[in-house]
Amino acid sequence: MGKIHVVTDSGSDLALEVKERLGIHVVPLTVQFGSEIFKDGVEISVADFYAKLKTESEMPSTCQPSPADFVAMYEKIAEPGDTIISVHLSSKMSGTYQSAVLASTMLDSSIKVITVDSKAASMGLGLVAVTAAEGVQAGKDLDEILSDVQHVIDHLQVYFVVDTLEFLKKNGRIALAQALVGTMLSIKPILTLVDGEVAPFEKIRGKAKALKRVRELILEFQARSPEKTIRAALSHATAPEEAEQVIDALKLVLPVGGEVVVGEIGPTIGVHTGPGVVALFLCAV
Amino acid sequence: MLLVAARNLDQQKDMVNALNVFPVPDGDTGTNMSLTLNAAVKELERAENNDVNRLTTLLARGSLMGARGNSGVILSQFFRGFSDGLAQVKAEATGEDVARAFTSASNTTYRAVMKPVEGTMLTVARVAAESAEEAAQEGKDAAGVIKAALLGAQQSLADTPNILPVLKEAGVVDAGGQGLVCIFEGFWAGLTTSPEEMEAILAEQQVPSEGPVDVARLETEVLVNKYCTEFIILGEGIDPERIRKKLDPLGDSMIVVGDDHVTKVHIHTDHPGEVLQFCGELGNLTEIAIDNMMLQNQEFSNHENHRLDYTTDNVVGFPQPEPSAPPKPVGLVAVVAGDGLAEIFRSLGVDQVVTGGQTMNPSTEDLVTAVNSVNAESVIILPNNKNVIFAAQQVKELVDKKVGVVPTRSAPQGISALMFFVEGDSLEENVAAMEDSLGEVKTGEVTYAVRSTVAGDLQIEERDIIGLAEGKIAIVGSTPDQVAFDLVKTMVDEDSTVISVYYGADQSAEAAEELGTTLQEEYPDCEVEVYSGGQPLYYYIVSVE
Repeated sequence: MGKIHVVTDSGSDLALEVKERLGIHVVPLTVQFGSEIFKDGVEISVADFYAKLKTESEMPSTCQPSPADFVAMYEKIAEPGDTIISVHLSSKMSGTYQSAVLASTMLDSSIKVITVDSKAASMGLGLVAVTAAEGVQAGKDLDEILSDVQHVIDHLQVYFVVDTLEFLKKNGRIALAQALVGTMLSIKPILTLVDGEVAPFEKIRGKAKALKRVRELILEFQARSPEKTIRAALSHATAPEEAEQVIDALKLVLPVGGEVVVGEIGPTIGVHTGPGVVALFLCAV
Repeated sequence: MLLVAARNLDQQKDMVNALNVFPVPDGDTGTNMSLTLNAAVKELERAENNDVNRLTTLLARGSLMGARGNSGVILSQFFRGFSDGLAQVKAEATGEDVARAFTSASNTTYRAVMKPVEGTMLTVARVAAESAEEAAQEGKDAAGVIKAALLGAQQSLADTPNILPVLKEAGVVDAGGQGLVCIFEGFWAGLTTSPEEMEAILAEQQVPSEGPVDVARLETEVLVNKYCTEFIILGEGIDPERIRKKLDPLGDSMIVVGDDHVTKVHIHTDHPGEVLQFCGELGNLTEIAIDNMMLQNQEFSNHENHRLDYTTDNVVGFPQPEPSAPPKPVGLVAVVAGDGLAEIFRSLGVDQVVTGGQTMNPSTEDLVTAVNSVNAESVIILPNNKNVIFAAQQVKELVDKKVGVVPTRSAPQGISALMFFVEGDSLEENVAAMEDSLGEVKTGEVTYAVRSTVAGDLQIEERDIIGLAEGKIAIVGSTPDQVAFDLVKTMVDEDSTVISVYYGADQSAEAAEELGTTLQEEYPDCEVEVYSGGQPLYYYIVSVE
């Protein structure tokens, strides 16, 4: 039996250190500012992206990788007889998953590709990829790994706070959250993901209050399943101090030695959420 | 001898329901009169005592607000005249009083119509009044006078086909007149029937099989002015005569009636837009209904159900309009003073904003209208003022929708409550969550003292600027900005995260922004937000949460 490889996309916001340690391969989406096109993480850094976001008047957009991009990646990393677990952005938010599915059919049948719709984004997707890669490193068999992956997908709880709804709105990623758009007050809603789509969770006035509420939500989450171990991930967009507040609260509920997987929100997600985002991902295992 | 209304008050409902027994014919005249009367009855049910004057005033007002269609409006004027006629009566009405009321009612109905047509309910009302006067001169008591009026009305009704050829051709009596006679019969029945007998009558609820015909409907075959246009103008001192002159060239069947605060307009016209535009300049328009009578006529047979569907006041007119969207499970009505605040509330999902506040509390009726106009199965009201909470709670009894009141005492409390509104949750869940939120926000208001007073340790002179925290005077000063700043100081604590400033109509945006900047410097850990509230009298409304 061949090796198992884990592939994800740049919507996972995994830190370089995590990717290297766990051997996770990332296919980049492209970010477009006007006529300029950049491969996320390859041709544009996170810092450069947010700097550009401030100066460019035009709203950027993203483009999914082509099936050929995936084929190139799959063929690069896998030998005949290997298996690839390819986990991607929620299919309701991006065509990336669809592209991977197409690519999987274009490969020589000697390489087996299992495509997985994470129904999540950012570190939610990251957590799914990490779960798969950890299973590979622990020497688990494919079925066990896929079962762990599915558990995370099914039990992931997401809370995120955005500075402004403008980015979600302009990119059409907030169909369910329309109720929150257009309000005149500066409301910092806590958003969530429901079945792979952005949905409003609570309306809060003021970011400090919203973050305070997120910290409460961590305790509420733990109280719902006290006997279980919590896995947590957090991502943020240019908001390290606010992220730190939430991480401090997370440390109170994590098992001894448990770590919070932290990532910076990169261009792929940042295009749709803007700066100032703090996103929390919880899963009881 | 007992006077009509007072005698019947104990069995008021019975008496009034006896009026309801009157036939609802297959034209909208009967429906309209029935609806109008129902509105009046609704009003009567709110009466606290037997005072004749009070009762008749309620009757008049209720019927005016509820008046629909030609006949309904004329009926409302009948009640209004009736009410005026009894204005001087203290406890018991004499035969003369009642006769005077009938005469006054008849006169008012004639005045209400631009071109009175004989052989209609106008004639019936007039003959009834004449009969009543005769009986009174003969020394009859109130009951006797009412009986005479009823007999006169019955005779007059029978005579209508002889006066109006269109009735004779159709072989019917006038529908409006018939309605009026039915109401008089109700009067009489209410006066002479024991409560037990009344129940028996009500149990039967017969509807005669042969209904009278509506003259207006027969005429629609040659109808030029096809839009039946109806609305109410809310505003003080509106001159009905001026409206009549202006609108007369625009259509026919015009009726313009009203009291000091409310004017009802009904006209058949081909130019409803012009009518609305002119009247809209005179005051606030409400309960606007424009129906195409041509189509009404064609669809007539399809609307068997309509005539009983008077439970929702928002459906005015005929045919019943289909709501464009399915009703929401829970809608929102908020009472707010100021354009800016109204806009903020709307942006937070409030369906209907009712203008009101400290010195201009909306009536329960305003709230009823707003609640009914929301396309939702149930409605939550945010009174946003302690003086409105009670009126809001009254609404529960007056509408058929389920109504919940979150007792918000200020606009900031209302905004805070809206943060906890979840579309898709039930009325009860939302009301509970929103009520829990009321402690989340502290409200401060900056206004001026209208008179000198002492509040605790504070000596206040007239025109001093005062700051109220949660409704209690906390700060006295000379400038709104300084008072607002000092007021916020008493409200902020270590848990505070957001300070909001809503500046009033008399306050400049620059001054408000400056206050916001000062506050931000003073409280760097809080987010300070400044919005135009546009509220009158209050320079600033501030909230801390």
